Order: sequence, then C-alpha cells, then structure tokens
Amino acid sequence: MRRTRGFTAVALSAMLLMAGCGANAADDSDDAGGAGKGGKLTVLSASTDINFDPAKSQNLAITTLGLVLRRLTTWDIQPGKTAQVVPDLATDTGTASDDGKTWTFTLKDGLKYADGTAITTADIKYGVERSFAAELSGGLGYHKGLLIGGDTYQGPYTGGDLASIETPDDKTIVFKLKAAYGDWPWIASMPAFTPVPKAKDDPKAYSQNPVASGPYQVSSYQQGTAVTLTRNPNWDAATDSVRTGGPDEVVFQLGQDATVAAQRLIADSGDDRDAFGAGFVPPAQLAQIEQNASAKQRLVTSDAGALSYLALNTRRGALKDVKVRQAIQYAVDKSAYQVATGGAAGGDLATTLITPGIPGRAEYDLYPAGESGDVAKAKQLLAEAGQTALSLTLLSENDQQSLAEAQAIQQGLQRAGITVTIKPADETTVTDTLTGDKPDFDIAVSSWQPDFPSANGNIQPLFATSEIGGGGYNISRYSNAEVDRLIEQALATTDPAAAQALWAQADKRILQDAPVVPLKYNKNSFLHGSNVQNFFVAAFPAYPNYLKVTLKNR
Amino acid sequence: MVVDIPPPELARHPLRQLASDRWAVAGGATIVVFLLIALAAPLLSGLEGHDPYTYDLDAVSDTGAPLGFGGGISVEHWFGVEPMTGRDLFAIVVHGARTSFLVGFAATALAVLIGVAVGLTAGYLGGWYDRLVSRFIDVLFGFPWLVFVIALGAIAPADLPKQLLIILVIGLFGWPGIARVVRGQTLALKQRTFVVAATALGAGPGHLLRHQYLPNLTSTIIVYSTMTIPGMIGAEAALSFLGVGVPPPTPAWGRTIGDAVGWVQTDPMFLVFPGTALFLITLAFNLFGDGLRDALDPRTRGLKR
Repeated sequence: MRRTRGFTAVALSAMLLMAGCGANAADDSDDAGGAGKGGKLTVLSASTDINFDPAKSQNLAITTLGLVLRRLTTWDIQPGKTAQVVPDLATDTGTASDDGKTWTFTLKDGLKYADGTAITTADIKYGVERSFAAELSGGLGYHKGLLIGGDTYQGPYTGGDLASIETPDDKTIVFKLKAAYGDWPWIASMPAFTPVPKAKDDPKAYSQNPVASGPYQVSSYQQGTAVTLTRNPNWDAATDSVRTGGPDEVVFQLGQDATVAAQRLIADSGDDRDAFGAGFVPPAQLAQIEQNASAKQRLVTSDAGALSYLALNTRRGALKDVKVRQAIQYAVDKSAYQVATGGAAGGDLATTLITPGIPGRAEYDLYPAGESGDVAKAKQLLAEAGQTALSLTLLSENDQQSLAEAQAIQQGLQRAGITVTIKPADETTVTDTLTGDKPDFDIAVSSWQPDFPSANGNIQPLFATSEIGGGGYNISRYSNAEVDRLIEQALATTDPAAAQALWAQADKRILQDAPVVPLKYNKNSFLHGSNVQNFFVAAFPAYPNYLKVTLKNR
Repeated sequence: MVVDIPPPELARHPLRQLASDRWAVAGGATIVVFLLIALAAPLLSGLEGHDPYTYDLDAVSDTGAPLGFGGGISVEHWFGVEPMTGRDLFAIVVHGARTSFLVGFAATALAVLIGVAVGLTAGYLGGWYDRLVSRFIDVLFGFPWLVFVIALGAIAPADLPKQLLIILVIGLFGWPGIARVVRGQTLALKQRTFVVAATALGAGPGHLLRHQYLPNLTSTIIVYSTMTIPGMIGAEAALSFLGVGVPPPTPAWGRTIGDAVGWVQTDPMFLVFPGTALFLITLAFNLFGDGLRDALDPRTRGLKR
C-alpha cells in the first residue's frame, strides 16, 4: 500500500520521451561491472523521518529499507525489463504445495546480520509475527488476511506465536494460507518478511536502530536532519543478486524542500554532484530544466505508472447518489489537472483503475467526456438527481502542488454548477482524515502506486470493504458485496490469466458505481547529480532503484 | 505622546504638518490608490476582460509555463498569466488587494478595539485586574501564534469562512501591543492635573474614561492603528504563503508569492507583480503612519527628517 505523495509531474521533450526507457539505460549503463565502488551518496528527501521498522514500513523493496534490510524475496528491477520477484534471503521464490495453500522457503547458506550472528528462519517468523501487533501497525499488511489465524492474531507481545508459520529448522520456513494465493512470492518481498532477532527487538527503538542484513547499517540517526548508513561488514555480495552496494556511505538529508532540492541538483555543485532527489521534481523546476541542457541530461522520468484519482466519499450526503457521482465523472476537467501537474509529459489521462503496465489491464472509458469534461452531460445528470446547488468540500494537503491540483478540480466542477470549497490541512491531518474512522470530507485528490505489479495491488487496497477506515486506503468508503466477492474470487484464482480477467471485470464494475474519478497515470521525474550513475526508473515501480545506484570514481 | 492641547486646534495643525511631509503624502496617496483598486477590482479586471478564476490552458505551454514574453504579458493579459493554470495575473493581483485590505483592516479594527478596551481599563482600574491583564499580555506576547494558527486551521470546521477565522485569529493575537501602549498612556494621564481635578469634582468612571482619557488617547490610537495595518496585511500574506491562509482560489498575494517562488527562475514576473504590490502597500502604510505620528506627536513635531 503506498499513497504516492509530493510532486507528480514532468516535462520532457518529445525526443527524450520517445527514447523512453532507452534513454535511462544509455545514459547510465556504462558502468555495469564492479567499478563505481566507494564514495558518499547523498539522498535529498522531503520526509522528516525514515521509519526503519519493517513492521511499520510501507517502503518499496528497491528504496531506502532495501539498503539495510533483506527480505525472503525481493524485486529485480532493471531498466527496460519487467519487474521480477527474485530470491533474497531464500534460495528460491518459494515452493507451493499442490493445493497452493502451503509455501515453503529455504534460506541461503552463510547469511549473517551486521553483528555477525546467523540469520535464521525463526527471526523471519518473528518479524512477520510482530507486524500483527497493534503498536506496530501502519505497515503493508497483505499477508495478514492470508495467513491462517491472521485475522485474530494479536502479535507476539500479547498473542504468543502464530501457528500458521512453521520453522522446522533454522533454514526452513513454511507459511500456511487460508486459500491458494498465486502472488505469495511477491507478498514475501514485503518489509514484514525481514528477519528480526527477538533478543534485539525493542518496538519503540527499532524504527531508528534496526538489525541490518543488507549492505548497509544505520550508523547515525538524527531525527528531522539526517540518517547516515555505513557498510555492513558481514554482508556478502555473493549471496545477493540485486544489491550493488556501491557507495561506502549513504546519507539521507531529511526535511528538504522539494523546490530547494531540485535547485541544488540543477546547480550540481560540490557534494550535490553525488546526490539524487528522492522526491518528484516540481513542475516549476521541470520547466526550468527544459532550458538547461546539463540538468536535462540528469532528469529521469518514469513510464505512466501510479494512478491519480479523485476520491468521492460515497457515504456523504449527495454523494451517496450514484447519479451525482457519475455527474462528477463528466464535470471534472482532467486536462486542467494534467497541466497543474506539469503538463502532458506529467502523465497520461486516465479512464481505468488498473494502471498501464499491469498484466491483464483492459482499456475502456465508461464516461467518455473528452479531455476537459462534458459539462452539459454533467448538468443533465445532476438535474436528474435533483441536485441544483451541490456544494462539496475538497480536502487537500496545504502544499502548493496539492493546492494547484485541488484548484484544477475545483474550477472543473464549478463549470457544472458544483460549488467546491477547498479545505487545506497538513499532510498528517489529511492522511488521518482520509484513512481514519472520521472521514470528514466529501472529495479528495489522491494517488496510488501498487505495491506489486499485479492488478490486485490496484483494486483490493482501494475498493475492498475491509479497507475502509482504520488506516485503510478505501478513501471513498466504497462498499459493494458484488465487488468484494469478485476480489475474493480473483485473489483465490491461481491461474494468472483467469485472475487477470476477474480483476479487469472488477475494475469496470467498480467504475460503474463511480466511487472515484480516474484522473491521470502519473509519470514521475527524478533528478540526480552528475557523479551519480546507474540511476534509472523502470516500468514498475515508478521510483528509482536505490539498490543499484553507484558513484563515478573521481 | 501626551497631548493636552484642545481638540479643535489639534485637528488643524497636524493636518498641515502632515501635508508638508512629502513621504507621508506619497504613502497616503498610494494607500488611496490601492484602496480604489481593491474596491473596483471586478471593474478593473472586467475592463481587461478576465476574472481571477477562469483557466486558460491555451496561454500556457505543454509544461505549464506561460507562453510569451515576461510570463505572457500582452494586450490580452496585462501582467501575464499564472503558470500551470493560465489564469490572468492582473485579475489575481487586483482581487488580491481586496483580501489584503479586508483582512488588514478588519483584524486591525478588532485588535484596536480589544487593545484599547483592555489597556484603558487596566490602566484606569489598576490593582489585581491590572496585574492579571499585564501577565496575560506577557503570555500572549510569548505565544507561538503562527503554530497555533496552523493547528487551528486543521481543526476548524470547513463551513466556517477561512477569511473570518484569519481575521479573528490575527486580531485576537494582535491586540497586546496596543493594550500595553494604551495602558501606559492611561497610567500617565491618571497623574495629570485635569484628570485629578475632574476626579476631585466627583466625575464618575464613565465620564472620566470618555471625556478625559479617550480624547487624549486618540492620536496614539490613530497612529498605532495605522502602523498595525501593514503588520496585519503581512501576517495574512505570511499565512497564505504557508498555505494556511485564505484558501484557494480566492486570490491572495501571499499565496501567489508562495507559488511564484518555485517559478522565479523560469517566470520571474509571476513573483514581481504580487511582490511589488505587497511591498508598496506595506511601505505606504508605514510612511503614512510615520508622518501621522510626527504630525500628532508634539515632541517630534517640527523635526525635519
């Protein structure tokens, strides 16, 4: 589950666009071998905090946490190739029993933590178990509903151990699932499948001081300022197929304003040559980079990936009426929204819920309204619904980018006579309101990057009834028994083609009820310094692969 | 700043003094011009043919940057257009003046009202009430109001107009300064012979406050109010700059300036127009306020700058 934040956007010349991923590859692949070891890599991040606790983290396998923590499986992300799930601590991506309900993994030999002790399967079991604890909630929880007994288990601190995970010996771990689940190897790459030694577990401090199994360990943690990673002497590159472990040191500079970070990277001087930005480049800087040949070369843009959408709170007032929600589908000015996020190169206009690049996606448009909407049709639907003076509250984060997007939505709906009041609030308040149990808003702009390349990641977290409130991302509070059944059915289908057809069916069925307006498939742009190489963004996920970044030897 | 010249003379004299102060006159004229602009904002932008809300995506490039010279300055768009939306910048700036004046004046009025009432009563009554009020003023001075406002914005109900909230908050945090000054003046007046005489003749508190104290505080209040307005306008701009002020799309200079900071390299005019407007109006109020103080305060009267 990952609600993408910050600046979605772009600006690339048509030429660079046509080159697509090839541009990434050509620019950066000159160093494929062992060169590029050493140096201090700096990552400029807007966050004020990095949570290293695997139970609480929603990190992608290829970003920050991946540098420090290894999982049972992980992702092999390379430019121009589709995402692959590959073994990490395990020797393979798991062996399923004939009925698909039991998955067995075996650990590689010679795996050690930073302190030299051996990594055992008991630690992985413990790591998964602690993700169930209430005090460690907030992490990716796909496994929680799949493991037998997962819905009632309270975590190791109060609930003993979870019987559906077995560790017959130090090298073997067995997961017992309620139903067959074909995507389990992807689930085993989630942060919760990181080994956590029970003796070192302190739920309060683990988020700043995790026991490292990857190429780096956290050597200093200054909240809100910087996090420094240094080499883990006991990490063995021979056991790791995806991490390069290039730089000697990785420093995360926290709380960096997106505009300032982009300006620093455009200027490309001093230590900033060894840096890259973790956040998206803001539209204003994209326009600036257009005129700067040096910076333009160092801009990396993803394919259309994450979905930006307008969530309609289906449990509020007039929005309970499907006619009203459908009217909004027609009233929205997607074209203005697109320009507010950096223009045509900032992403493609969206009409479906399953995003491009996800296997099984079916292209369709239930509400054909052109790029800037069909105001007459919207007005007609509103009239049919008996709404003459509809007034809605749009909850938005109070940063400039979010407000620009909110205004683009506002002016679009205004054309159809819908009064929209923007309510700006800080990021935490917005997230709490959207995902919490007191949804005091009518509409909100949000975006979603699937946690693994399966339509499941597009649909289930956003539209299953079980994901309403309590931190879940069913922001529109959409609940339809038929859709829930479809989701369940698709989850249990092991044949990929059959499952994909079911997901596509669910996609269309959900949009018939119009709980969200798909706005845009985002393209994310990232900027790096001139000394940074092997920096690329593959088709999935739309984020750079931190694990392979190296620095040129100076 | 104690003035005990009879009012009629006072009214003629300072005005002449003020008229001879070129800077004050320039400040006053600027204020009047901006006031007219604010009042006639829809008329002015109508004259140009735009309003501050309508998007014009044809006026911006594919990346959202304004097309044409100086951020899209043309006969069509006098100040160019806003990046990413194509909204007319002239309309945004003239309508923004309304927000600034409304918040600036209303918050100042509120602050002065509370400040004078509190300061006057504290100075007049003295005793435990004065001590209590003075401590409370100290607390308010040290209060991190900006943080408080940001937090308040998050919990305030959405149907409460944000403009009203901002006026209330800035006003409610803006009165301690004037209260302190008025209290000091009142304490000084208390010792003056005409007040002592009125008290001796049996004048009640109502008469004393209305006819002895207030008239002698008027000039202080006027000067202080004039000097407070730019501070209030600045406070509103700061809040809007931080994204917790007047919510979009209502034009506000602070928000536009905040948006423009990121564009300064590509479209500097986007920052120049609202920035100049804010600069001019705060400068004008300060110059005018200075001149007014010189004119009303006998101790600085006649001094040449």
